[in-house]
Amino acid sequence: MTTACIRTGLGAAILAGAAVAAEAHDALTTSVNWSRTVSRIVYERCASCHRDGGTAFSLTTYAEARPWAVAIREEIFARTMPPWGAVKGFGEFRNDRAMYPSQINLMVSWIEGGAPEGDPEDLPEPPEYPEENAPAAETVRVVRNGATLESPVVIDGLFPRDVPDGGSYQIVAELPDGRVEPLVWLYEYRNEYGHAFLLEKPLELPAGTVFRGIPAESSLDLIPPPSEPGVRD
Amino acid sequence: MRLLKRATEKPRRRRAAVGPLMAGVAALGLVAACAGGDDSRAGPGAMTDAEREAQVQALFDAGVYFCPMDLDVRSSEPGFCPRCRMALVMGLPEPVDYTMDVTVTPELLEPGGTARLDFVVRDPWEDRPVTDFEIMHERPFHLFVMSQDLGHFAHVHPTRDSETENFHIDLDLPRAGLYQVLADFYPVGGTPQLIARSFIVPGGRLEPAAVGVDYTAPRQGENLQVELVTEPAEPIAGQETELYFTVTPGEGLEPYIGAWGHMLAVSDDLIDTVHGHPFIADGGPEMLFHLTFPRPRNYRVWVQFQRDGVVNTVHFDIPAKELTF
Repeated sequence: MTTACIRTGLGAAILAGAAVAAEAHDALTTSVNWSRTVSRIVYERCASCHRDGGTAFSLTTYAEARPWAVAIREEIFARTMPPWGAVKGFGEFRNDRAMYPSQINLMVSWIEGGAPEGDPEDLPEPPEYPEENAPAAETVRVVRNGATLESPVVIDGLFPRDVPDGGSYQIVAELPDGRVEPLVWLYEYRNEYGHAFLLEKPLELPAGTVFRGIPAESSLDLIPPPSEPGVRD
Repeated sequence: MRLLKRATEKPRRRRAAVGPLMAGVAALGLVAACAGGDDSRAGPGAMTDAEREAQVQALFDAGVYFCPMDLDVRSSEPGFCPRCRMALVMGLPEPVDYTMDVTVTPELLEPGGTARLDFVVRDPWEDRPVTDFEIMHERPFHLFVMSQDLGHFAHVHPTRDSETENFHIDLDLPRAGLYQVLADFYPVGGTPQLIARSFIVPGGRLEPAAVGVDYTAPRQGENLQVELVTEPAEPIAGQETELYFTVTPGEGLEPYIGAWGHMLAVSDDLIDTVHGHPFIADGGPEMLFHLTFPRPRNYRVWVQFQRDGVVNTVHFDIPAKELTF
């Protein structure tokens, strides 16, 4: 059974009789290193913003990332980075950028184990990052809290707008037959990193569906599948 | 063994108290220690960073066996994890993340009713259904179920459909509101997975649980009492907390699905879920768990111990403070 999904002890092991000396530095007690493992996680989860030409300072090399190691750990624990802004398991999204527990474990193990670099020969190829475009306004239906659908709709994604920073909001769809469908649980969602949540599978919502949980001053774009003509209310 | 330091005693170096058992673990070829702990530091001038890294890497490259779940348990020889009894594997496993489809029926759920959950696990390479699972703690598939108010908790084991080989289970739904299920399984050829899913029973309010902060009073289970002492006494988010449990009476304890104890900690907003087993336990009445509360919030911590064939489930509500200077 999986042990603690986030736990400081993960990077803690040393072999018997082989304790590694350290003085003013962190002890290196992990085999997780930047070149082989951590760089891949950073490329996948962080570097779309944290790169040269991105929207935040670069973390794509060991020299750039190492000084930030402790801060990275704090941000991961606080769930403020990566700024996915939603809780896993409440709705399923094909563009989910939040770290998996296994990735969190490895990042924490690396940082608490002394953040070693490893062999640069193990580095992966730096990825390329296509620009993500927000859906055009005329392709979406925009709803606010308490809004009722007057006609059925198929949605492929959601784009929260004007969400107060730092809140926790469980947004659901109440269907006319009484079912309650989880849409997205926003947590630490920040408009400056605003993005679409693209559903794993398109969702059909009948007429009469009511949206709940949207903050009063916010709205939610309902993104149709590419083939679905959209309507703006 | 005496792991527990009474609350009235002045906290001292906890590791000294667990020394004898640690020595026993070391004799098995397994040593786990805490990174950054005082014991791992030496005087100045010993080695450069590069030399230290090379030495550590050489040790791992020489052939180290890891527990795929308790990654801090390592051995120079094949064997089993003393904490969770999983077979050790050669080399640090690279994480592989599987996907899981969950179908909940009936579509319209009712408080007081039941729901059937069908699980289809898919591999990350070809999106094919996975049917081969390692046995973890005597079962191939574990499931934790929590209601949003944290008033309902279950640790259950879905059964396998003989035709599809997929897992399913019927769950009681004692109240309205949000439920979170946490699936715990280990596909053959992969790494252990912990995947959360949510569903909603109409009629309830979606709001965080009102978790208290009292963890000093003993809790009474079916046939034993559980007492908890933490170190530090006031846990700090992001820092490791040691949880010392003492059960009374201390006789008749038995492993429950492969471990002397099981623990699940859930934040009051249902966002953090941390699962673990005793860091140190030998069948005696005292057990040590390690836990890092990720965020400064209140947490409900369920523990399960078995005595004389009876599974005892109790919980403690523990606040984690923010680190301040």
